Amino acid sequence: MLETEELRKVYKGTAAVDSVNLFLEKGESVGLLGPNGAGKSTTISMIASLIAPSAGDVRLNGKSVLKHPNEIRKVLGIVPQEIALYPELTAFENLKFFGRIYGLKGEALSRRVQEVLKLLGLEDRQKDLVKTYSGGMKRRINIGAALLHQPEILIMDEPTVGIDPQSRSYILDTVRKLNEEKGMTVLYTSHYMEEVERLCDRVYIMDHGKVIASGTKDELKSILSGEEAILVEMDRDYPGLVKELEADEAILQTIEIDKGLKLIVPKGSRLLGKIFQAAERHGAQISNITVQVPTLEDVFLHLTGRKLRD
Amino acid sequence: MLSFILKDLKIMARDRTELLVLLLMPLILIGILGFALRGMFEGNTAALEMEVALVQLDDEEAGIEAFIEDLEESGAPDEQVQALGNAARDISPSRLLMAMFENDELEEIIAIVETDQETAESYVRNEEVAAVLTIPEHFTYDSLRKMMLDEGEGSSLALTVTEYGSLRASIFNDVISQFVRELNFETAIAQAYGGGLPLGEEAETGGRESATAADPVSSMQYYALGMAVMFVLYVSSTLSSKAFVEKKQHVFYRILLTGTHPVTYLSGKFISASLIAFLQLAILFSLSAIVFQAFTFHSINFWLGMAGISAALSLCVGALAALLTALVVRYNNDAISSIFSGGVVSLFAFVGGSFFPTDNMPAFFNFIGSWTPNGAGLAAYVQWLQGYETSVIMGSLLRIAVATVIIIVVSLLIFPRRRSTIV
Repeated sequence: MLETEELRKVYKGTAAVDSVNLFLEKGESVGLLGPNGAGKSTTISMIASLIAPSAGDVRLNGKSVLKHPNEIRKVLGIVPQEIALYPELTAFENLKFFGRIYGLKGEALSRRVQEVLKLLGLEDRQKDLVKTYSGGMKRRINIGAALLHQPEILIMDEPTVGIDPQSRSYILDTVRKLNEEKGMTVLYTSHYMEEVERLCDRVYIMDHGKVIASGTKDELKSILSGEEAILVEMDRDYPGLVKELEADEAILQTIEIDKGLKLIVPKGSRLLGKIFQAAERHGAQISNITVQVPTLEDVFLHLTGRKLRD
Repeated sequence: MLSFILKDLKIMARDRTELLVLLLMPLILIGILGFALRGMFEGNTAALEMEVALVQLDDEEAGIEAFIEDLEESGAPDEQVQALGNAARDISPSRLLMAMFENDELEEIIAIVETDQETAESYVRNEEVAAVLTIPEHFTYDSLRKMMLDEGEGSSLALTVTEYGSLRASIFNDVISQFVRELNFETAIAQAYGGGLPLGEEAETGGRESATAADPVSSMQYYALGMAVMFVLYVSSTLSSKAFVEKKQHVFYRILLTGTHPVTYLSGKFISASLIAFLQLAILFSLSAIVFQAFTFHSINFWLGMAGISAALSLCVGALAALLTALVVRYNNDAISSIFSGGVVSLFAFVGGSFFPTDNMPAFFNFIGSWTPNGAGLAAYVQWLQGYETSVIMGSLLRIAVATVIIIVVSLLIFPRRRSTIV
C-alpha cells in the first residue's frame, strides 16, 4: 500500500535520513522505533509530503507521492508529536475547523465531529477550551483532528509523550480499535518499547537515520534467541562490581540500571553463582535477581549499544 | 477561507492581552494626550495672558486738526485738503493701534490698562504689568506728516518690558514690532501710489486666513485619529505572531496536510487582519465619540467617509500582516514580529504624526510620513474631519492603495510555496 524507496534527507551535509526502505500493507500496524534524533519524524514528514526528500521516493499504491502529493494527503492522517491545536478554541471548534478545511460541511461535518469526540471519550468536555484540558485530553484531541476525514493510513509520531498512564492506556486502546475494528493502517513511532510491543505487528528500528533492523516482533527477538538477560537488583550502585563483571568474558554485556545491573549472557550459561560470589567480594547486597526473556528493548540495546531513551 | 477568518476572529476575541493592547491602551492614550495637549490644538492662551499699561501722551484729535491746518496753510486746493483730512482721520496710527488691541485674538491675551506715566512706572517696578507702551506727544501729528507728506522725522512708540526675555514680553514686543512694520510698509506703498492706496486693506488679509480656512481639529479628535492609526498597525504583528505559533506547534503543517494551498492560508491572514483592523478602528472611533465626544453622530456622510478611509487603511494593515506572516514562516523567526511591534510601529507613529502634528517638520520627514500607512491614513482622516472634499483626500488614499498592492506582491513572493522550503 505505502512504501518508501531509498528515502534520504540531507541537512547541511548531514544525512538525517539515510536510504530508508519501509512498507506498510493495508490494515497493518507497524512500529517505527528509535531514540530521539534517529530520523523518525523526518521520515514521517517526507511520507506526508511535507518536506521533499533529497533522494528516493514515497509510493502510495505504486504512485509517486512526490509527483502527486494530494493523493496521499487525502488518505493520510498525521498525529504530530506537538499538540497541533488552537488552545484558545474549544475541542468542538478545533475539530470543526480542521473538518471544514478537510472539505466536510454542514450535517456531515457535525456528525463526524461528534463521532470523533465519542471515540475519544471527550463528548462531555467538547465545549471547553483546549487550554483548560489535561495533557492526556489534549493528546486525544490531537489524534481526533487527524481522524476527521476518515483516513486509510494513520501516522502517529510519539502520540503519548508526557501523559499519565490512564490517558496512555486510553490512547493505545483507541489506536488498537482503529486498527482492528476500522481496518485503519497504522504507522506508530515511539521510543516507548512497551507501546510498540502492545500495538504493532511489525517493527522497524531506526538509529542515526538508518533502519538497522525490521521484522515482526518475534523475528526481531530471535536476534537475541541465543541470549538471555539477568536483572540484578541491589541496595546501591557498586562500580567495582560492574568493572569486574565487564571484564568477565562469559558476560556479553553489562548495563548499569538504577541500583542494579542488567547482564546479557549466552542462553543456558550458569553464571548466577559467579555473580553472587563477585557481589560478596564487593560487599554488595543483592535484593532480587531475575532471568528475563529478551524484549525489543534488549534487541535495540543489542543493535545500538544504547537504550532507547538515552 | 471563511474557516480561517472565523478562527482568527475567535482567537483574537478570546485573547484578553491583545484586546487590551489593541483597544484599551489607545483609548487611555487618547484620553491622556487629548486632555493634556488640548492647549496646543485649541489655542488655549491662559498661559500667555498679560496686562499692559498704556500711557497716552498724544492728543489724537488735536494732532489731526494740526495736520489739516498745515495742509490749509500750504495753499493746497480745498478739495485736496478735505480728502487728505478725511484720509488722515482714517489712517491715524493711534487709532489703528487701538483698533489692533481691540482685535478679538489679541483681546484674549492682552489686557490694556490706560494710565499715566507715573503709575505706569510703579507698575513696572512692582512687575504688575508685562510691559508699558507709551504713545509720545504729537505722535499722531508727526506720524501723519511723515506718512502722508513725507515730512519730518515721524514718531516712535516707547516700549518698556518688565521681564526682559520672558515669553510675555517677547510676544508683546513682536505684536508692536509687527504693527510698526506694517505701518511703515503701507506708508511706503501709499507714498509710492501718491497717497492713493487706502491704508488698512492689506492688513486685513494676512497669511493666517489660509490657515484657518478649514474647520479646526481638536486635540481629542487628533489623538483619537493618531492613536487609532498607530495601534491598528499592531494587528499585523499580532496576527503574524500567531502564525509563528501555528508553525511552531505544527498546526500550519496540519493545515497543509488537509490539502490547503499555502496561498489560501496567507490570504486568510490578509482578510482576517483587515477585518480585525476595521473592527478595531470602528470601536476606537465610536468609543472616542461616546467617551471623549471627539466626534459627533449627526452626519451619516461624515461616518461613511470615516468608514471608507478605515477600509482602505485596514486593507493595508491586512497586507502588512500577510508580509510579516510570510517573513516569520519563511525565516522561522518571531523576532520579525517583535521588531515590527517594538520598533517599526513607534517609528511609523513618529514620522506619521501620531504623537504630534508634523506640519512644521522638514519636507523630507513629511514625505516619509505621508508614505507610512498610518501617516497617509491620519492625513486622510484629518482632511475629512476638516471638511475637505473627497478629491483632496484621494492623494492619501492612493498612497495607501499603492502601499497595499506593493506589500501584497512582496508577501506572495516571500511566502514559501514549495514543500522543501516550508519545514
